[in-house]
Amino acid sequence: MSILEVRNLEKKYPAFELKKVSFNVEAGKITGFIGRNGAGKTTTIKSMLNLIHPDGGEIVYFGMPLTGNEQEIKKQIGYSTGTVNWYPRKKIRQIVSIVKRFYDTWDEDAYRKYLQLFELDENKTPRELSEGMKVKFNLLLALSHRAEVLILDEPTSGLDPFSRNELLDIFGKLKKEGVAVFFSTHVISDIEKCADDIVYISKGKIVSAMDKGKFSEKFGREGETLEDTMLRMERGDFDE
Amino acid sequence: MNNILLKELKLSSSPLAFAFIVFGLMFLLPGYPILCGAFFVTLGIFQSFQTAREANDIVFSALLPIAKRDVVKGKFIFVCFIEGCGFVLMFISTVVRMTALVDAGPYRVNALMNANFFALGMALIIFGLFNLIFLGGFFKTAYKQGSPFIAYIIAAFAAISVAEALHHFKGLEALNSFGTDYLGLQLAMLAAGSVAFILLTVLSFNKSCDNFEIINL
Repeated sequence: MSILEVRNLEKKYPAFELKKVSFNVEAGKITGFIGRNGAGKTTTIKSMLNLIHPDGGEIVYFGMPLTGNEQEIKKQIGYSTGTVNWYPRKKIRQIVSIVKRFYDTWDEDAYRKYLQLFELDENKTPRELSEGMKVKFNLLLALSHRAEVLILDEPTSGLDPFSRNELLDIFGKLKKEGVAVFFSTHVISDIEKCADDIVYISKGKIVSAMDKGKFSEKFGREGETLEDTMLRMERGDFDE
Repeated sequence: MNNILLKELKLSSSPLAFAFIVFGLMFLLPGYPILCGAFFVTLGIFQSFQTAREANDIVFSALLPIAKRDVVKGKFIFVCFIEGCGFVLMFISTVVRMTALVDAGPYRVNALMNANFFALGMALIIFGLFNLIFLGGFFKTAYKQGSPFIAYIIAAFAAISVAEALHHFKGLEALNSFGTDYLGLQLAMLAAGSVAFILLTVLSFNKSCDNFEIINL
């Protein structure tokens, strides 16, 4: 079942354009959103969160268009990025005490559970956290209000291989709990390791959006790894 | 709405916004352009906006399960709250000067503006100008603060200069009245300032909501 649908999304900047981007995200699956730097991943994600104003197209969550249902939808989604520091000098405890007031679905038991699982110290401030811990902090906020969809913008960026592996394992656990995880990355091995579906974007256009196995079947050649296939495709060497 | 105000107060704001409220007491200073007190209150709010920008507050707020309009509303309510606190101190100072200290020498021999209801009305106009020019300008980008603040400084000091100059013109001396002299005129000036504040703020709020809806964060 599609929990999130992006339909014909368009956004034009002077030097870049999103061209009718369309794909679905399924419940209880991990979807990897891959593309090189500047391919349009962050623009797409920001549109999905209503942080930028698209020129055309529609974003639909749980069968409801984002426009007009923003409040209701945002209660059921979570967002994280590894690169942004929220309130770097406030204690996690203080940030959480405010954030939880916005969610009637806030689950204090889940909060305590993930706080322990992620080994986060409530008395630390975001500026005292490593990049990996910052991602975990964002995940903690999202999971404590029982988000059904996690939208993660390059969550593994800047992480060491151990933290990256740990994070991908967490995605696997969340998937088992029925959470849909949509994460962007330019690291193909992340997709290889944990994604069920691949959405591949290049120069603002979706090249393919399908199951990982089907992707390899359709685009892969004899003896190629997923990484080899994508690198070749990025050079334009593939059949539509 | 309580939640968004609480977020503004506990997460987004700078302590300077609260500390600078005390400049409302500048209405007690004799021989000083007392309307600068209103300007200093807004200077604290400006500092607070800078702190919030460093904390990525606007994007964080936009991700909360509230309408984008409510993010703007939160900022406006916070600003009006700080301005309101500053105004309370100005009002108390003015009432003290109009009653207990009405005959105090330093206030009687004062080339500059007297603290009365006209001055309070002008303070509200300065707050209104801040809301219109700085807040409205900020929400055109939700990022740039320098140029809206400079534009506001020019407007605020023009308003202060006009207010300071008016009572020196023939026929306008009553604007600088002491105690309860010309009370009807004085109250009318305060009412006019209040109306101007409300109009400027509502105008800016509506425009800010429209802009914030379409800008890219």
